[in-house]
Amino acid sequence: MEKPEKYFEGCGQEGPIRCIFLCEFHHVAGPKITCQIPEDYISKDTFESVSVYIIPKAQLQRSTLTITILGHKILGFPVRIDNKKYARNAFYFNLCFVFDAWARTVQYEPVVKKLSDYLTEMEVESNFLSLQDESETEKKRLCSMLTQVLLDLNRQKMCTLSEGKATTHLKVVKISCDPPPVYDYQVPVFVEPLEKFQSEQWDLTTQQILPFIDGFNHVAKIASEADVENNLVKSCLQNLLYYGVVSLIPIFQYSNMYAATPKIRKLSTERSLQESCVRAAALAGSPFPTVKNILRLLCSMTHGTTVRDICLRYNPSTLNIDICKLVQFAVLQGLIRKIRKYPVSMNNSNLNGLRCMDELCVAATTSSRQLEQQLEGDSSVFFIWK
Amino acid sequence: METNPISVIFMKSDSKGDRLLFRFPFQDNLRPETRQQKRRKNPYALTVNEDLLYAPPQQSTNVIKGQLSGFSDEVLSTLFAVKQELCEHKFELKVNDVRFVSHPTLLNTHIRHADLSDYKANSPSIFLVNIVFALQAIASHSIVKCYYDLSKQLGIALRHEEQRCGYVSEEMKTMIAIHDATATRPEEASLDGHESPFDMILKQCSLARNLKTVYEDLSSSGKTHLRVNKWIQASFCLPQKVHQCHRKGFMVEPEMIDNCLKNLRPYHGILLLTDQYKLLETIPPDASPALTRLIKMYSPIKSLQTLSADADLTLKQIFHLVGHLLYWGDALIIYPICDSNVYVMSPDAPTYSHSPLIEQFSESFPGHNLLQVMSEFSLPMSMRQKISPLCQPHEQAELVQILVWLLQHRLLLQLHTYIFFIPTQSGLSNHQEQSGPSSHQYFSREERNDSFQSNSDIETSSAREPSESDISSNVSDDKVLNFTHLENVNYSSFDEPVDQIDGISSQEFLADFNEEERSSLLKIPACSSPEDFYLLIRLCKRGYLHGMHHLEEIMYLENVRRSQLLQILDKFRDVLITCEMEDLAISMFHSHSAD
Repeated sequence: MEKPEKYFEGCGQEGPIRCIFLCEFHHVAGPKITCQIPEDYISKDTFESVSVYIIPKAQLQRSTLTITILGHKILGFPVRIDNKKYARNAFYFNLCFVFDAWARTVQYEPVVKKLSDYLTEMEVESNFLSLQDESETEKKRLCSMLTQVLLDLNRQKMCTLSEGKATTHLKVVKISCDPPPVYDYQVPVFVEPLEKFQSEQWDLTTQQILPFIDGFNHVAKIASEADVENNLVKSCLQNLLYYGVVSLIPIFQYSNMYAATPKIRKLSTERSLQESCVRAAALAGSPFPTVKNILRLLCSMTHGTTVRDICLRYNPSTLNIDICKLVQFAVLQGLIRKIRKYPVSMNNSNLNGLRCMDELCVAATTSSRQLEQQLEGDSSVFFIWK
Repeated sequence: METNPISVIFMKSDSKGDRLLFRFPFQDNLRPETRQQKRRKNPYALTVNEDLLYAPPQQSTNVIKGQLSGFSDEVLSTLFAVKQELCEHKFELKVNDVRFVSHPTLLNTHIRHADLSDYKANSPSIFLVNIVFALQAIASHSIVKCYYDLSKQLGIALRHEEQRCGYVSEEMKTMIAIHDATATRPEEASLDGHESPFDMILKQCSLARNLKTVYEDLSSSGKTHLRVNKWIQASFCLPQKVHQCHRKGFMVEPEMIDNCLKNLRPYHGILLLTDQYKLLETIPPDASPALTRLIKMYSPIKSLQTLSADADLTLKQIFHLVGHLLYWGDALIIYPICDSNVYVMSPDAPTYSHSPLIEQFSESFPGHNLLQVMSEFSLPMSMRQKISPLCQPHEQAELVQILVWLLQHRLLLQLHTYIFFIPTQSGLSNHQEQSGPSSHQYFSREERNDSFQSNSDIETSSAREPSESDISSNVSDDKVLNFTHLENVNYSSFDEPVDQIDGISSQEFLADFNEEERSSLLKIPACSSPEDFYLLIRLCKRGYLHGMHHLEEIMYLENVRRSQLLQILDKFRDVLITCEMEDLAISMFHSHSAD
């Protein structure tokens, strides 16, 4: 495939900052670029056709504006400083970052705003921006400053600017979506190995619950064993989830049913996945199990077959397979998914079909078998597996 | 919902300047403005000095209660009066949390033939019209792209109508007149509940009514059909909205539809989401007669190949039409319903006890309870199992109707059997991985690599759907091309010489395996029966045993019977592993399969 096809509008990838320019409204000449790094990246013609979006009307001052046009994406934050000393009683400027049209740029919005605020402050204090035309030294200062921002942000996603006594830190923060809510009946599992991970960097409550995250304890159990309030545990876990340290899986029970997903095919071909799977599923102190046996076990998981049935059929321990660990690994990798059981009744508002068995059991602190026996007597209750 | 438009704006820019002529919805925007005007116009009000020095606080949102706010008409019209060099290109502007998208269109004013003598007064002039959609900034790129296409489509329609009969100039004249009239209206009149100019425009201008229809249709259904000036047909569909899924936050992207169509095979079938006769009524009168024929011949038990024979259309045409039906949310792709199909609950199916589906179901099938039916389908179930020999024929028919209903509402998944050939304990050997080019091909086709297929492409481009040869090369390597060619497939028999498969003798085939694999294969007693052994080898050679092809596909491509395959599966169970999964090619509309 040709290379440029990798980047198309909507590919969702981030791209480097191509150019930074400062533009002002000159009282005679109108909108003009004061300083551009690298020079002439935005041609005069291009600038003229978009200047209305860069020095916009009063209503749009202090809004983040992104205009995608002619293959460029220009992100700016127009600012107006009112003061009688200026030729038109106000000084208008806009600091803009330029990207390729295909790049995602939301993450740069706070940076542009912060840098604009910093420049505003410098202008108010020392007329830094309005002196650009007259003073060669000020111009050089601005150029070197913008060059530094461009290089540092592209290289290491952060930049520290010090001008005189004022210092400002710019950082491009990746925008991830909010983590989903954590429920009592979910089991947190570390995604990366524990050694890699410094527990000291987390807050005290998180440190208190970390030892209880073993991949089998569910949230409510962790809360009671660590003696931490339930909601605190949930918010700690949500935080860990946000940073991709843990992942949530369903409680492991021998009465669970799982079904193979289309991703299972990867296990038959991908060497690296096979190796990590074999290592993860190995019974402690025995030789590694074979890929064939693992695949056979996972493929036989389907609707209507519980883990208990599979254990009876294959006796995983003779195949050197730790079934709990295998299920954990496969769920984390998305090779299998749990088939949840939902008791639904039109009469009982507690069984409204939105809460699965695990949730009901944890809420009522009963075993699933007890709950099932209770519900089976009621003919209005339907069990739906999905 | 990020798929809904926040607002639609119509503006013009000509030698007399730029002006916003119409926006919809407009009620809520009007109030704060009139209040402002009132304050300004009060002759006794002091000019507050602070106003000049007052630095406006940062605006962070321009959407209040789903309405566009914080923009006056003048600001919007300056923003959208783009310079000439930006016309006829995509225009995209994001302000805080609103994204504006449009296709600025240049028009030549219409010259009436009668007035040609008075050349000077009617010399053609160029003016710009811009139909802008305001969307939520978080709307995905594909949504923005679709709205851009719509703006472009409308722009082109307007250009045509202007050229034909000066429609746009007339409409613009009316709108400007109304705006001017209301602007000069006495202050009190505009305050006490008098009609806003937009209300009057809506009453008098068909263009404004069209834009209102577009806004309302897109907000409710995601599909719109309109006739600009009762002449030019403009149809648009927002696939992200039309394909409603049960899982919140999951959307069907146009590229998923493209992928689905790329993976379409002649053995697939379609399932219409509405009654076929109702669908026929909604089809515009100038639609292709082939589409009408296809819909008339439609049945959920027919494969595309059968449909092509019944409707007397080529398979290629059928694929086109199916692509159309799928994109517009009128049909789903299924495996034709038959009694050996195994169905199970989809993980996305809503189990909520007060979901509206339950009511709908009991209306369609009195005496049946959706919850009960869903609990019956909680375990994989085929029609054969469901229909007992004691069933009356009408009960059977009802069961099929129920099944169709469940499939239409995406409550069921069909499970297919996939096969992995694993001769040794360590999984597939390296050789095996290389010898399965079809599997890699299969996956690479799923990755999207071409640019977005827009809605207009669906309607115009003819090279979109895979051709016949495409289909077969997609599922198997080139060697079998002649074998699986559509015309031959029904007649190519299984009675070929058993010791020659694709010109390779059994010895050569075994030579491809290493020692360990060969010995484990030969240990199986069924190897002594040449028919079974060669069938296995044939399937293996053609790469059907990598978990990429389900039984039905193998049956179709190799023209073998299900019982033959089941025998092989049983006899060679030591080296074959089966797995039950949904067909990835067509199940992308279920959220868990999509990623």
